[in-house]
Amino acid sequence: MLELILQTCVNAIIATSFAAIFAVGLMLIFGVMQIINFAHGELYMAGAYTVWVVYAENNLPFFVAVLAAALVVIVIGLLMEVALFRPLRGNMLGGLIVSIGMLFILQVLAVHFFGEGLMKTILSPYRGAWEVFGLRGITVPYQRLIVLGVASGLLALFWVFLRRSRLGWALRACTQDPEAAALQGISINKFALIAMAISAGLAGVGGAVMAPLVVVDPHMGSSVIIMALIVVIVGGLGSLEGAVLAAIIYTFFHTFMTTFFDGVIANILGLVVMMLVLVIRPTGIMGTSEKS
Amino acid sequence: MKTKVTRRKFLAGSAGTIAGLSLAGTLPKRSFAHEEGEVIKIGFLGALTGDLAGWVLPGLYGVEIWVEQINAAGGVKVGGDWHQIEVISYDDEYLGAKAVTGAKKLVLEDEVKFLVMSFTTPVFAAQPFLTEQKMVSTTLTPSDMSPERPYLIAPVEQHPFYLVTGVEWIRRNRPDIKTVAFVTQNDELGMNSLATYAAAFEVAGIEIIEEKLFGFEITDFAPVVSAVLAAKPDMLCLDTAYPDYINLILEQAFLQGWQGPLIGASLDNYPAIIAKTSQEFLEGYIFHYPDFDDPRLQEPDINFTNAAEFYRVYTERHPGAWNAVSWEYAAILAMWKGAVEAADSAEPMDVFQAMKSTDAPHIFGPAAWWGTEVYGIDNAPVGKWPVVQMQSGKPVIVDMADMRPWLAEHQDVLMRHMKDRNVI
Repeated sequence: MLELILQTCVNAIIATSFAAIFAVGLMLIFGVMQIINFAHGELYMAGAYTVWVVYAENNLPFFVAVLAAALVVIVIGLLMEVALFRPLRGNMLGGLIVSIGMLFILQVLAVHFFGEGLMKTILSPYRGAWEVFGLRGITVPYQRLIVLGVASGLLALFWVFLRRSRLGWALRACTQDPEAAALQGISINKFALIAMAISAGLAGVGGAVMAPLVVVDPHMGSSVIIMALIVVIVGGLGSLEGAVLAAIIYTFFHTFMTTFFDGVIANILGLVVMMLVLVIRPTGIMGTSEKS
Repeated sequence: MKTKVTRRKFLAGSAGTIAGLSLAGTLPKRSFAHEEGEVIKIGFLGALTGDLAGWVLPGLYGVEIWVEQINAAGGVKVGGDWHQIEVISYDDEYLGAKAVTGAKKLVLEDEVKFLVMSFTTPVFAAQPFLTEQKMVSTTLTPSDMSPERPYLIAPVEQHPFYLVTGVEWIRRNRPDIKTVAFVTQNDELGMNSLATYAAAFEVAGIEIIEEKLFGFEITDFAPVVSAVLAAKPDMLCLDTAYPDYINLILEQAFLQGWQGPLIGASLDNYPAIIAKTSQEFLEGYIFHYPDFDDPRLQEPDINFTNAAEFYRVYTERHPGAWNAVSWEYAAILAMWKGAVEAADSAEPMDVFQAMKSTDAPHIFGPAAWWGTEVYGIDNAPVGKWPVVQMQSGKPVIVDMADMRPWLAEHQDVLMRHMKDRNVI
């Protein structure tokens, strides 16, 4: 039993790292633009497909493919910001509708260019698994260590950027109160672009490093966006720290429930936990009340 | 081949259909006999996009190749004339509403004579209309059959009943295996399969010590695989998990150190799984879907003309797409063609009568129409099915086992497990 508990902890830590970078990206867009980007999962899908094209099909090094995925998805994100989100900034319903439209467009483009059928098989550049600190029966595949390393590194970089740079301070100001930030002379257009680039980049890199571990198909974004929405709601809309904390709580809870009970029960209980948090604390764990 | 329905086209088609139906009473009945050169249309209604496309789309590829080969050989002989076959496809996206729209379009607008479908949700949704139209349609899962769907047949796929043959093979050849753990998705396909496996394992004296179910939202297989491996079973059963899930479950099992025997319904795209794991890891895996270049499938009792050539063309034209369903729709059409020629008519009810009047010429040999005891209607031919084993990186048929003796002897066990799991 102890072996299974330790293995489940290892599984949950890896899952948390991905959930955190994915949810933080979604949170950032909401903070700056007041738009819930339902196409965030499709940006993750675009990252995974870029790895398939660059690494699996053209045999370039995996980390070149990850970099390419980040660039491709950042470009898609910037186009979305300028063409779709900017005109609708602050309009939650309008933003929701265009992001759902973008979700379908990206899915259809993936079907058009890459087809349907069985998943794209992407081999990990580092096959095999590490026996955690020599503990028998507790393993973590090398690819999952890559996910952990890349996700933790990006989150740390992002935290340093937010806390230690003038651009980061300005971005935090935008996420906390865009109107007040604009009154201080901060260009919301410029910081919306920066936020979108960071958000899309995180989703793209997430998709890229996860590609060898998941079903890569045009619909792969659908399941992760549900997880991310639960995380940002539980964490508190607008709170980046809340998103990270909620990612830890949710993925540990979900992983343990899946292991010791059932995957379907885990999904249902995950939603129940979200509802309970909203009943007890409607703003989420670290969210703040809207200004009157 | 893929047909897109625009709103305008659908409305025009519906208007035309209504007008046509209004005039039908005033016009002479259409002759059943086909004129020389007249094309016989067959409908293909299945998920060509979405999650289920991974199974259905390769089936359509197989149909296209089969139709090409039959048409090149002259087509179907009816009333002394040769007729070419045309397949018209419609994407139901595995949605009931789309399936109803597609069924109406294919039957009323395209006037297809036979309709092949996937399974469960879209099949259920379209059946009231198809029954009303007396249109013969097919499903890949016999569990879809019901007395309320008298013209729905399961002519090829004998899922989940063939699963008992794999377990029987294990019982005879691997007496050391005493416990098994399951991992599969919690849906109708998975649960039907699980109930059948549970019955077969009970009969074989193999204890189920863990069942781990997951939903479609799953993104990480590590927790479910950790849980089943922690139970320390003698064998791991992947049930009828979907192909992409099998790929990821096996990779996780490999990475978490599993080295024991494996069993499941299918093993699609096994080269990719070998690349992710190893040939040794998959050695001995027992499943039920052979490659069609297997020597056993070239023998005379197999009702599929030139299986090896079909496989060669398929794998050449669609590299990596060969899966459990690739040949099934083609095999259904081969059976339909035989019935058309026996009935000397392509009209649905004539073909239906011809199919049901004798023992079914199932692809894997003679079979008996079956199903009344379990589903209330005997619209599924049950007979032999291959037990396939991975040997040196290639699937090999190790037995062509008849499931009828097992079903006759242990039907009560099977029914109990199916009722326990609410699948009947």
